[in-house]
Amino acid sequence: MNFPVELFINSMIAGLLLGGFYAAVTSGISISFGILDIVNIAHPAFIILGSYIAYILNTRFGFDPVLVSIVMLPVFYWLGAAVYQVYYLSFEQRGQEALRGLAFFFGLLFVTEVGLILVFGVDYRYVQAPYIGPSIRLAGFDLPLRMLVPFLLSLLLFAVLQLILTRSFIGRAIMAVSQDPLALRLMAADPIRIKRAAFGLSIATAALAGALLIVIQPVEPSVGREYIGRVFAICVLGGLGSLPGTLIAAMLLGVVESLTSTFYGPSWAPAVAFGLLLLTLAFRPSGILGR
Amino acid sequence: MRSPVFFVVALVVGAVVFAASRYVENEYFFFAGYVVLQFIVLATAWNILGGYCGYVNFGSAAFFALGAYATVTIHKLYPMPIPVLMLVGGVVSGIVGFATGYLTLRLRGAFFAIATLALAVVLQTLIINWDFVGGARGAYVIRPNSFPLLGSYIQYLFGMMLLLTVISVAGARAIERSRLGYGFATIRDDELAAEASGVPTLRLKLIATTISGALMGMAGAPFPYYIGYVEPGTAFGLAYAVNSIAMPMIGGTTSWIGPVIGAILLGTVQQVATVTISSAVNLLIVGILLVDFVIIAPNGIVGLVRDRRIGSTTVEPTVFVLLYVLNLLPTIFLAKQGQAAQSIGLVFWAILFFVTYARGRMIGRVWLMVFPWIGAGLSLVPVTSETPVVSTVVLWSQGVAWLAIDPPTAVLIVSLVIQVIGMIYGAALERRTPAMTTP
Repeated sequence: MNFPVELFINSMIAGLLLGGFYAAVTSGISISFGILDIVNIAHPAFIILGSYIAYILNTRFGFDPVLVSIVMLPVFYWLGAAVYQVYYLSFEQRGQEALRGLAFFFGLLFVTEVGLILVFGVDYRYVQAPYIGPSIRLAGFDLPLRMLVPFLLSLLLFAVLQLILTRSFIGRAIMAVSQDPLALRLMAADPIRIKRAAFGLSIATAALAGALLIVIQPVEPSVGREYIGRVFAICVLGGLGSLPGTLIAAMLLGVVESLTSTFYGPSWAPAVAFGLLLLTLAFRPSGILGR
Repeated sequence: MRSPVFFVVALVVGAVVFAASRYVENEYFFFAGYVVLQFIVLATAWNILGGYCGYVNFGSAAFFALGAYATVTIHKLYPMPIPVLMLVGGVVSGIVGFATGYLTLRLRGAFFAIATLALAVVLQTLIINWDFVGGARGAYVIRPNSFPLLGSYIQYLFGMMLLLTVISVAGARAIERSRLGYGFATIRDDELAAEASGVPTLRLKLIATTISGALMGMAGAPFPYYIGYVEPGTAFGLAYAVNSIAMPMIGGTTSWIGPVIGAILLGTVQQVATVTISSAVNLLIVGILLVDFVIIAPNGIVGLVRDRRIGSTTVEPTVFVLLYVLNLLPTIFLAKQGQAAQSIGLVFWAILFFVTYARGRMIGRVWLMVFPWIGAGLSLVPVTSETPVVSTVVLWSQGVAWLAIDPPTAVLIVSLVIQVIGMIYGAALERRTPAMTTP
């Protein structure tokens, strides 16, 4: 049988670009779940919220979706900080996060999704931007700008996050709080304040990820559900709390999904992420670059 | 009361309910009753793992759908009576429950929760790609018109589900009071300490996942006969997952009566809401009530009645704001639905009143509670257009927010309110009626 090399390489490229975008989506979970140990399953709902804000401002005023999301970063930061405050006071403080905290996020996920459905309906929404549509040709292969721009932005996001976490004071404090909150308290720092900032940061990434999502594909409110499994799969696969691991895992998942849908049909693609997640959990729970 | 005695009593109660229901003329009663009973079984099953052991299962729909699809498969091969189908569905889902538990329960609790989410999607994809049971197109299962002795077939299904409800509730109560139940409770309270004291935690957790999964499968087995047409979207519907979590949480997770209370209350409200409003609003109600209850009443209705005390964090500024904004949402949407929806809207106005009262008392401004009163009163006034109600609601929320919170936090409120306004603005922009179905 003649192996379709051209198709294979095209599929690989599409997968890598898709993986870059997955990395942006997962970066928030990587901080909240990986570093802070908060199982925020409502994260995709915040991403969809980000998409809809980009959509509203784009269709009404013609603003660029990515620009909108950058302006919205502080708003999402505060939103995240507020959600963490509620979560801490009501659940974490009393050691009830395992059961009630999870149910809380699950409820938030639902409320956001159904709220968006009630306001906007279940129609797919999309945005207009100059980089949606054209593609550049490189060495005989097509690179659609619609995928390339999110890919590059997501790499940028990762670089910035990695710099924040390893170089800045607050970033180091965030890493410290994940290692030993008690020791941090002894150093006269308030772990809650730092965790609040970190959670705010994780939700802030959702604003950007949401804008990238609506650039890549049309969005409707329940699209977020498809990402719950993907983001946690990537996060676990990459190793909890490791941003480089997350990036590698996201690329890997993007490529595997793309190859699956090219060679077996798109209806099998959703199972890939979850199958990978189940296998990782069963055989290597610490992930690729796990601590 | 000893467990066998309780089982007999429950059986008698079930028999009385069934005998009484024979006098109901309206066939719809059985269709609605069946759904409520099905949710009692699902909630009880979820609670055996979630409430007793403290492990959250997000994949209830997967176990339910497995039971349903076991029935579809058997129906295509060789139709068999309902009790046999229930047993088969139970065995299949029980095995999958055991396998999931075996793969993930050695890890931290959160991994189990995520794995169950994953399981639901993997199974759904498998079913969609399995043509024998209809794949994505779905499968028709023709329900016989009548059943000997009972008359209509739906009454027979209702009776079988009632029997399953009795068995599962009595079973959950028996587990709760046995050595097994105490073992589960030690896992919930402190797994490490339990392990160190010689409790075989892994074995107990596996028993819990198996029983819980099996009961969900049994609840799903008669579903194809009830609905007549099964497709992956309905069988794996997120309504099952969210309801089987919300019902025990709202009723109370630590005892067998909690899921029963939660399922009867929420199940009935949903049946009313589905008929009078829409299924999307229906899910919104469940989601908001879930968030409300985990914060305001951490031990559910059972805990509320027992302790006569609410969650102490309700009065904290941020928590208050979240609850306030969240509970305003349904009042806005219900205001659009006309008079039929107002009775459900009043539930949320009551919660708003309650929350504002608690916060107002703490900061010495008890009079703040008049805001929800006025809002509730306004919502009852028939209006020609929805706009006045919406703007009033937003104005009130801003007023209460500024008065109930200290200035620094007010910045936060304003940003939240702006978001709510933005959503409404977007809706006004569209100038179209929102779609009323969930995908």
